[in-house]
Amino acid sequence: MTTNGGSEPVFCTIVPPHVLDRLAQHEDDAIAGPARRTLEQDALHRTRRRITAVRGAAAPSGTPSDKPDRTIYDAEGAETLPGKKVHAENDQPAQDATVNRAHAGLGATFELYLKAYNRHSIDDAGLPLIATVHYGEKYDNAFWNGEQMVFGDGDGELFLDFTIPVDVIGHELTHGVTQYTANLEYYGQSGALNESVSDVFGTLIKQYALGQTADQADWLIGAGLLGPNVHGEALRSMKAPGTAYDDPNLGKDPQPATMEHYVRTSRDNGGVHINSGIPNHAFYLVATALGGNAWERAGQIWYNVLTGGDLKPEAQFADFATLTVKAARERYGAGDEIQAVQKAWAQVGVPAT
Amino acid sequence: MRIQVRRTGGFAGIERRAEVDTSGRPDAAEWQALAERVLASGRGTPPAGVPDGFRYEITVDGRTVYAADPRLTEEQRQLVSRVLKEGA
Repeated sequence: MTTNGGSEPVFCTIVPPHVLDRLAQHEDDAIAGPARRTLEQDALHRTRRRITAVRGAAAPSGTPSDKPDRTIYDAEGAETLPGKKVHAENDQPAQDATVNRAHAGLGATFELYLKAYNRHSIDDAGLPLIATVHYGEKYDNAFWNGEQMVFGDGDGELFLDFTIPVDVIGHELTHGVTQYTANLEYYGQSGALNESVSDVFGTLIKQYALGQTADQADWLIGAGLLGPNVHGEALRSMKAPGTAYDDPNLGKDPQPATMEHYVRTSRDNGGVHINSGIPNHAFYLVATALGGNAWERAGQIWYNVLTGGDLKPEAQFADFATLTVKAARERYGAGDEIQAVQKAWAQVGVPAT
Repeated sequence: MRIQVRRTGGFAGIERRAEVDTSGRPDAAEWQALAERVLASGRGTPPAGVPDGFRYEITVDGRTVYAADPRLTEEQRQLVSRVLKEGA
């Protein structure tokens, strides 16, 4: 059994940037990928240092805009990026509903990160948001390619248009936020954390857009994406992992809710879309225990962990859990928040010391 | 010639497999030529890919090459989509 993306090399920052630049152009992704990620991380650290330096001075001119800068492209059924430019930030709504949904979803994501966490776009430096729609033929997927969003139309039977659920758009863009922050390795537990963080902020983007409190939200990921004849309501459930679908074509939702049912597998990059059910459920438990708007206290704690600088790329569930306890204490002191966090991780069987 | 494709990952994280046996097919020569080009240009280890991007294992008569979206070659793209569409 072979697995993907497992033990690719990691380049320390000791490798000179010009060497990394050349490696990043390498045709072999196993070499180019880590080099590129290292360069991205380096750029981020330089930005952080610059921001720290600028903050000291009274120069607000470098502050990124509070408005998103969105551009939508149309691949017209090909798999070439970015495709034909069809919509700019200030254009009137397009004829194509898919283009308008992509534009709105990018906006909803920008809005949550700005209003709830004062984050200016994916990189916190005003990164323009680019999306390509109608990628491929009956293409059953959406992804962030490191630089932009890509949406398929779905096959129309199992999956519909991937721009339909706003939480899917938020999920994918959050992979960009993770790339610019903790840069969690996409394998095993760190990969499941990467996936979970995308589900957490994906659902928060939906809840914020709909103005739903924790007890009003459906806590589903990908509701509205499955075709009308599929037996299932969504792709994942944070409230009840493992119950989102059970269908002759798709199989059954394989997600566990607790460590007792943790799935050891080399498939799916070591089960990144499977075991994410465990931290997903922990977030749900914290948010519903605290009540009110989930993006406020629960979301703030998770956001602080993701962006705080202590979360390592190779972090395991217990590392993440421990950092959420620390973040809750730092932000809210000894109160309901820290108790809710400790209780949630205990309930899913992850030690948070 | 047996051509198998396994697609993993993706937003849904749901695996798909399909295979085509070219023997006896009227278009066998075309399939074989395409499969051989994919083998020749393919890599023996999985590329890193991107989060939620599809990853592919293409096995032709026991020899496996790997690929990942969004960086498939035109031949890989053709073969993968034909096998997933027409294969069983």
